[in-house]
Amino acid sequence: MDSYSSSSPPMGASPSPEALMEQIQAQLAEAYAKELIETMREKCFDKCITKPGSSLSSGESSCISRCVDRYLEATGIISRSLFSQQR
Amino acid sequence: KFDSSSPSSSSSSRVKLPTAMDPNLANNPQLIQFLSQEKERAMANEVVAKITSSCWDKCVDKPGSKFSSSETSCLSNCALRYMDMTMLIMKRFQQQ
Repeated sequence: MDSYSSSSPPMGASPSPEALMEQIQAQLAEAYAKELIETMREKCFDKCITKPGSSLSSGESSCISRCVDRYLEATGIISRSLFSQQR
Repeated sequence: KFDSSSPSSSSSSRVKLPTAMDPNLANNPQLIQFLSQEKERAMANEVVAKITSSCWDKCVDKPGSKFSSSETSCLSNCALRYMDMTMLIMKRFQQQ
């Protein structure tokens, strides 16, 4: 066991609280990112791909890039609007 | 009548925990506080995600290379009005 340098224990062994918290945070971050990406796929498809052609046009590609940037920005605007307002 | 249990697709339900766990971990105060903080964070994240989704539809027509000032104010107003609406709904509901 002394040869393990990482904080994660062998499979099946009980993790330390710190390792557990790390694992949970990492999984939550991944889950948040997945959800956000799924939402952006939906939103950007609706806004940018109005007439599906035989390939993605350059207009559609740049729309999608802008859409991702704007959606992330919108998330920040709303987050700040809600959580830096004390009522 | 109303199912207010957590939605099955929320981020927090996708977390997988190790199969072997020391039962004493359940009493670890650090862990308890951590879990309660993460739960709050997950709930806040869900609210932001839901509101962003609705307000995006209302405020953004075609995504540009930056937001206009009207789009920006629409988005922040939208979030606040959504919260106002939530309180109004609860008040009204409680009056029934």
